[in-house]
Amino acid sequence: MTFRRRVRTIYGKELVDLLRDRRTLIAMIVVPIFLYPVLMLGSLQAITVQTQALGQRAIIVAGLGGADGPQAESLAHLQHEYDRIRALEPPAPRAENDLAAPTESAPSGGAAADADQTSAAPPLQLSWAPCGSVEEIEQRVRDRSAHVGLVFEEALTLSPDRRNLVRILYDREEPRSATAHARLEDVIARVAARINDERREALRLPPTYFDPFEVTATNLASPSSILGQILPLILVLMTITGAIYPAIDITAGERERGTLETILACPVPVIDLIVGKFLVVTTIAILGAALNLGSVCATVYFGGFNELIATAGQGIPYGQLALILLCLVPFAVLMSAIMMAVCSYARTFKEAQNYVTPVILAVLIPGGFAALPATELRGMMLVVPVGNMVLLTRELLIGAPVGTSELLTVLLSTTLYASAAVAVAAQVFGKESVVFADVESLRSTFDRRLIQPSPRPSLTMALVVTAVLFPAWFFLQSWMQSTRGAEDGIGALRRTFAAMPVMFVAAPALVAAYWKVNLRGAFCLGGASVGAWAGALLLGTSSWIVARELVVLQHNWFGMSDLAADSAAALERLLRDLSSVELVVMLGLIPAVCEEALFRGFLLGAMRSGVRKMTAIAVSAAVFAVFHFILAKLPVTFLLGALLGWVCWTTRSILPGVLIHFLHNSILTLSAAHREWFSFLPQPQEGAQDHLPAVVIVPAIALFTAGCVLIGRSAAKTAGGGAD
Amino acid sequence: MVVADNLVKSFPIAGGQKRAVDGLSFRVARGEIFGLLGPNGAGKTTTLRMLSGMILPTSGSARLAGYDVATQPFEVKRVLGFLTANTGLYLRLTPRELLQYFAELHGMDRPSARRRAEHLVDWLDMREFADIRCGSLSTGQRQRVNIGRVLVADPPVLVMDEPTLGLDVISNRLILDFIRRAGDEGKTILLSTHYLDEAEMLCDRIGFLHHGRLIAEGTLEELQQRTGLSRLSAIFLNLAAEGAESAAPAGAVS
Ligand SMILES: Nc1ncnc2c1ncn2[C@@H]1O[C@H](COP(=O)(O)OP(=O)(O)OP(=O)(O)O)[C@@H](O)[C@H]1O
Ligand SMILES: [Mg+2]
Repeated sequence: MTFRRRVRTIYGKELVDLLRDRRTLIAMIVVPIFLYPVLMLGSLQAITVQTQALGQRAIIVAGLGGADGPQAESLAHLQHEYDRIRALEPPAPRAENDLAAPTESAPSGGAAADADQTSAAPPLQLSWAPCGSVEEIEQRVRDRSAHVGLVFEEALTLSPDRRNLVRILYDREEPRSATAHARLEDVIARVAARINDERREALRLPPTYFDPFEVTATNLASPSSILGQILPLILVLMTITGAIYPAIDITAGERERGTLETILACPVPVIDLIVGKFLVVTTIAILGAALNLGSVCATVYFGGFNELIATAGQGIPYGQLALILLCLVPFAVLMSAIMMAVCSYARTFKEAQNYVTPVILAVLIPGGFAALPATELRGMMLVVPVGNMVLLTRELLIGAPVGTSELLTVLLSTTLYASAAVAVAAQVFGKESVVFADVESLRSTFDRRLIQPSPRPSLTMALVVTAVLFPAWFFLQSWMQSTRGAEDGIGALRRTFAAMPVMFVAAPALVAAYWKVNLRGAFCLGGASVGAWAGALLLGTSSWIVARELVVLQHNWFGMSDLAADSAAALERLLRDLSSVELVVMLGLIPAVCEEALFRGFLLGAMRSGVRKMTAIAVSAAVFAVFHFILAKLPVTFLLGALLGWVCWTTRSILPGVLIHFLHNSILTLSAAHREWFSFLPQPQEGAQDHLPAVVIVPAIALFTAGCVLIGRSAAKTAGGGAD
Repeated sequence: MVVADNLVKSFPIAGGQKRAVDGLSFRVARGEIFGLLGPNGAGKTTTLRMLSGMILPTSGSARLAGYDVATQPFEVKRVLGFLTANTGLYLRLTPRELLQYFAELHGMDRPSARRRAEHLVDWLDMREFADIRCGSLSTGQRQRVNIGRVLVADPPVLVMDEPTLGLDVISNRLILDFIRRAGDEGKTILLSTHYLDEAEMLCDRIGFLHHGRLIAEGTLEELQQRTGLSRLSAIFLNLAAEGAESAAPAGAVS
């Protein structure tokens, strides 16, 4: 039976098994379909009622003196003016629901706080709270026994030669106080506008006399809608919670019920089992997310909350929903894998639930941070797990433009984390000591005394190390770039390459050493044959020309973005300021050693057992390319990574690759920094962005091919034909 | 049919290794019923799991139906039926679905899996409850489903780890009858048990496991002759006491 068929069989069975469980159904279907709309309608109504109530209630105004003192008199004067305006206005045409005010028409939802003056003036009820001093007024506003404080510098007089100075004291953090403040400002503004009109009319001036401008500003951004803020977090959380129950049931639950041993006695590889199960968990997580999304939309649509929820009356961007769900797929994969890995350690349902709790908390922190309105989808947030997905969902939901490279970074980093998590899940699930855990199992993964030495890192270790290094490296780079001034570019460059050995070599070496992995094996430091070295020399001296031509081709076909051109030019300027020794060490030697050690030695080496050659090389090349962050460089970096991967796989050593990488980088940087040194080579006709002449390209390709042949031969010799 | 050659399994524990199975060698001929006896923690379960290709031996080798358990675990699992008393069933599947699922896992395509499940339902007299979810079945009915599961690929070798542990009289009878019938049909059976009368009744040959070592092996008569005792329970106690003296260090922490 093939892998695909077995996985399909397992998938089908597990899906049926889970969907027959009441608990899954409740969590997946009943919760979103019923509880959700109810909750949403309820809370929205509560908000509406509350805002209405706020607008209706009498405003308690703290002021100097008693209710018949001059200050209270001034306020009464103001109110009188206001009521006069209201009486002049035509009656409000709108039929409002008279929830809180049986006598008057009620203001609509949030109108009390920010009514513009063209709309009908709502009724005003004030009550006076007498105070002895300004301090007492402040005190009363602070302890909330009054909504606002009001001080007139002098008694209110509406004569044309006087300006009335009015102080309002309020507490912006207290909603009622803020609302009361807004109401008073509104009242004063309306009275002032009315008086202006009357004076202007008395002078027979045209309406344009005082208003030389009429400005209408349209806010096109709508990120402040409640929907845009809350929905992404809800969706992401629902995807996570959707994964929890099935993940527990399918791992710890299976063990608790005694079926795990049965299934392991069947002729089914553990990997098939875990893939099947894991696909089921992912399916249910995505289904759950889709149902939640659908339920929210239906609630908004049928409940008529469109305007209240989305700003600018746009409603829900239905077109984006499909895209959002699509983006949630790698995320669901990630969360399912994490949940399965965690739950695999548990022997019982209960135990698994305990393990899941801290994971949820850990997920909520970046998720919650991303949900803050001020957080943006850029810089580090692009690679923060969970956080980046919340932000991406938000951007898509509110219809903000999301660049290709941002989208790719989020998706690729999530995919990287997901594959590491899947590998961990597979390993945990298949581990003897976990499956047949008669003794404590979690310890055996981390207790160094229980660890057996191994010649090579496991795939899981390599993937986890890379997945952790990726955001760390990204953070470090963005941090260095953000702290450097324009003149300190060299310093940032130096720091970056000083950090490289620590992150790319020391970190994996420490992990490997802790888990008793042979370090020579961990980094594939075996010797290589003379043929391999000769081949590497040929490849290293020619590959830069091939790479350069490929870049030119790419630019000719797809164009070059200004950004890429700018940064290339900036780098070139930087390089000229460095001594050639420093250039060779920093841009040639260090990356050659460090990147080969991590991507070819550690990562590719770990894939040697159990992953097919082509897949392994492609994966390591893709990770290598993604680590370079720049979209325009992706294709060529990938190809270079694939070449180096092939060399390492064939020669079973990273050393020839280091030589190639070193020569490649050094020549390329030197040729950029010191173009004059390369004047002996025939130059491209039109400039740096043009192809080199054929007299250079043809020999380069010949050298390149010869190098490949030599390397291929050396493999056949050393491995006695059994290399592949 | 089953050959164990110097099998060793050690588990890492804090401060060293524990040898749960320590140089175990024995053979079971085709059609024979071999019983593994031993006190708690003797290494019976560990041995049976190694022989079923479920866990890897630390050293030594074993073959089952000619397949190496370490290098060909899938071939081993294909020719083997594995049963323990606490083997669980998928409670949300019906017996029919469950049998079909396991048949498919053993490599049958869907139509043949369905036919095989149908056949077993008939043969084990499960018709009346074949479409009720396993969760609602009685223990006896569940044991019948379990037997059906073991026989799904008609394996020539059966491995059973304490198959009757904790079962009531009726389910117990069911399992014992099944073992006897399978033995009559010529299946090779390897079972571990605590119940000495069961072993006496069923097994052609018996091996005594103590601290991961086989301290005695033979037919009931051979064991009786060797110890001069007639009842297996007496032999068992005698051998266990002997083993405790001679083999104690081997099972200890090394
Ligand atoms: N996964 C494991 N990790 C560590 N130690 C284990 C593991 N499995 C078994 N052991 C130990 O190996 C020894 C033999 O265990 P095993 O389960 O094989 O004995 P048994 O003969 O089946 O006992 P019982 O009659 O109780 O079933 C025991 O001391 C046990 O603690
Ligand atoms: Mg046991």
